[in-house]
Amino acid sequence: MPILKVNNITKRFGGLLAVHDLSLTVEKGEILGLIGPNGAGKTTAFNMISGYYEPNQGQIIFDGQDITGLRPDEICKLGLVRTFQVVKPFYQLSVLDNVMVGAYNCTNKNNIAKEKSEEILEFLGMTDLSDHLARNLSVVGRKRLEIARVLASEPKMILFDEAMAGLRPTETDEIIELVRQISQQGIALLLVEHVMKVIMSLSDRIVVIHHGEKIAEGKPQQIVRDDAVIDAYLGEVTTDVAS
Amino acid sequence: MSSHIFMQTIVNGLFTGGIYALVAIGLTLIYGVMSILNFAHGEFLMLGMYVAYWSFTLLGLDPYLSIPIAAVLIFLVGAFIQRGLVQRVADSHPLSQIILLLGVSMLIMGLVQFFWTADPKMIHVPYETEVFIWQDLRFSIPRTVAFFTAMFSALLLYLFLQFTRTGKAIRAVSQSKDGALLMGIDVKFIYMLTFGIGAAVTAIGGVVLTPNYRMTPTFGQAFGVIAFVVVVLGTMGNFIGAFLGGLIIGVVEAFAGFYLGGDVKIIASMLVFIIILMFKPSGLFGGKNA
Amino acid sequence: MRTFKNNLKDFLIETFMDWDKMQLLISFVVLLLIGLSPLVVKSPYYMGIIILTTLYIFLGISWNIVAGFAGQLLIAHIIFLAVGAYTTIVLNNTYGVSPWIGLPLAGVVAAILGVIVSFITLRYGLKMDYFALFTIALMVALKTLFQKWKFVGGAVGMWVRLNNPSWEKMIFKAKEPYLYIALGLVVIGLLIQYRIYKSKIGKYFLAIREDEDAAEALGINTAFYKTLAVVIGAALAGVGGGFYVMYVNFVEPLQVFNLGLNVEILMAAPIIGGLGSLAGPVLGGILNKPIVEFIRGTLAAERSGTSLIVYGTFLIISILFMPQGVTGVFYKIYLKLRDRYVKEEL
Repeated sequence: MPILKVNNITKRFGGLLAVHDLSLTVEKGEILGLIGPNGAGKTTAFNMISGYYEPNQGQIIFDGQDITGLRPDEICKLGLVRTFQVVKPFYQLSVLDNVMVGAYNCTNKNNIAKEKSEEILEFLGMTDLSDHLARNLSVVGRKRLEIARVLASEPKMILFDEAMAGLRPTETDEIIELVRQISQQGIALLLVEHVMKVIMSLSDRIVVIHHGEKIAEGKPQQIVRDDAVIDAYLGEVTTDVAS
Repeated sequence: MSSHIFMQTIVNGLFTGGIYALVAIGLTLIYGVMSILNFAHGEFLMLGMYVAYWSFTLLGLDPYLSIPIAAVLIFLVGAFIQRGLVQRVADSHPLSQIILLLGVSMLIMGLVQFFWTADPKMIHVPYETEVFIWQDLRFSIPRTVAFFTAMFSALLLYLFLQFTRTGKAIRAVSQSKDGALLMGIDVKFIYMLTFGIGAAVTAIGGVVLTPNYRMTPTFGQAFGVIAFVVVVLGTMGNFIGAFLGGLIIGVVEAFAGFYLGGDVKIIASMLVFIIILMFKPSGLFGGKNA
Repeated sequence: MRTFKNNLKDFLIETFMDWDKMQLLISFVVLLLIGLSPLVVKSPYYMGIIILTTLYIFLGISWNIVAGFAGQLLIAHIIFLAVGAYTTIVLNNTYGVSPWIGLPLAGVVAAILGVIVSFITLRYGLKMDYFALFTIALMVALKTLFQKWKFVGGAVGMWVRLNNPSWEKMIFKAKEPYLYIALGLVVIGLLIQYRIYKSKIGKYFLAIREDEDAAEALGINTAFYKTLAVVIGAALAGVGGGFYVMYVNFVEPLQVFNLGLNVEILMAAPIIGGLGSLAGPVLGGILNKPIVEFIRGTLAAERSGTSLIVYGTFLIISILFMPQGVTGVFYKIYLKLRDRYVKEEL
């Protein structure tokens, strides 16, 4: 049974149809990439799955439970968490405290939360940053913190919202490796991304959306050759490119 | 309530409302451009009153003649406060901005009280009790002049914002700070200018009130609170909304004063406020979301 | 004896290395000094200032939790104090209920008001600025209502029914007993504040303050925790209000539904001391009232408006130049001392 099942979700904003009849699944432990040109509806779909928007139609089922219309914090408690494209650290709190907030999702006890947080920070190689204030971290440091926080909440699945945005190539490689390690722990991932290299190297499968609709789905090698995808990204298909 | 009293109440309400409108316009202008709730706003009105008082007492100037003086002086005060104080916390937690302006408000009230005491002051002009009667309705001369001065000031400000280059720059900033920056507008300067204009306009409102009211250092507080009600009612940042909202609240208050008594009529505004906040926080002219 | 000394040393070092514990220690040292003050302070006038200072510390803690920890723009916090004061005095005068019961009940009533305020705020989506304005409008509305409500004395207010002094009635001839009650309240307040700060609840409050969206994404039911913050702050302010009325002996609408008083007794101490810090209300409290009284008494020769000027200036200076407050200044010194100590040890 897939851990995430999105069934025919639709979202309208006034007269604008942002997402139309979108369906996708994510298997346990899988990495699904969600790509599409700007304005394709990726963010809207993302926000519906994570509980920030309510779909006008359709259903979202996580780990066997209908989460359509639930609040973000309720969804998090069920094991589905998200990161933010523009990271949102708790600036005035220390790195450790930031992660502890995530850890408290699963416990009320201070010492357990602290232990869990320290573990996560060690996994990420951030232990010596524990006492630093979040606002003093570098861009990539804040991204790692965002990931650490989310990991501390013991998710079954993580939704990454353009995790590589704003990173330099070496930093991107760092985060790619990190994402891979997280996946190896059995956590399912849905990556919304722009950076092709990231999507291609990480995804087990890719879903492409354009104008709010799914136009292609399949393994990375298939997607790269798909006419509809190329059309969407480049605006027109020429036989030369396709062959 | 006879139709005569009804009409009289409406007239009284509109006249008070005209002042509310002017004060609210200043407040909504500041909010629209800088997204700051000026918790010191009522104090600018109070300062306007004191400028009128001292112009009258020391220079023998009729209060309406001291409008330019008050406008310029309080403009400078407002501009200084923005540039020197408010601008520094532009990016901080909203709580910091509110606390800062509360501090400014207290400081202004304290200074006025310190130098000029808390004893109520009044100006006595020869025409203060004159009325003219029209259609059986009483129009107090000072209040009528106050109303039309306020309307005229609001109109001038409106024309300024619509048709002058600076006015358009101000409106540009209120719509999109980044867009305005890209167009080469000196946004920080506009902030300072707007705050000053907002303060000046409010001070004018204070000046025209002087023939009718006793002034004390805390006089502006009640007006400040009502100005917030009007601004929210008329949609925050909306000029026309503040104008109409002011008149509406003035009339609502006048009727509340008739039925409930003068000292508690403010509860009508508070109830209106709470109801708006609950059911239509985006105000009369607002969209779906607050 | 040796192990006791070692244990003590370890305890002190452990405390020293933890700024949170240090703040608590500093706070208790200050309280100790306040508690010993009757030995040196004999004048009722100065004792009165000390008592109010102590009360303002307690009240400052209540606002610090709501605004400092949880970042809620609860401006007119004084409505909870006012409601608490009225509850206590009405229970005392009209129903003969001892203030010792009246104080906790005041906290309960204030907490209920807190729930109502939170409910309306959340139900109608009053965010940030709108919430601040709502609390102010509520304060003005309540003022008007109380001015007209005969049962609580209307505009004239109520005087505490002064029987013979007794502990049962919380009426004393001397000042000192009031000081000890106030100190007791502060001790309780500090412990509550500390426990909250170190717990999940405290971290959740801070998270909400820093970034509500991120907090929600991490599983925090922000509506619940914001309400909790308001309710805790309200309850403490209500209890403080009960003591306030028993000490000052009267209450009237113009006095308590007043933004100036709100700043003076609820906001100034935490702001000056460091909003959101543990020692803020204490360090700010011992500065604010005494300095104001000093300036008013000496420099300003009792001229009116002085306290407004001083409070206004304090607020402006704090926000612009000392956002972390006095505690922040102490913290920087502490860090240097700690670094030096760590270097010496290694």
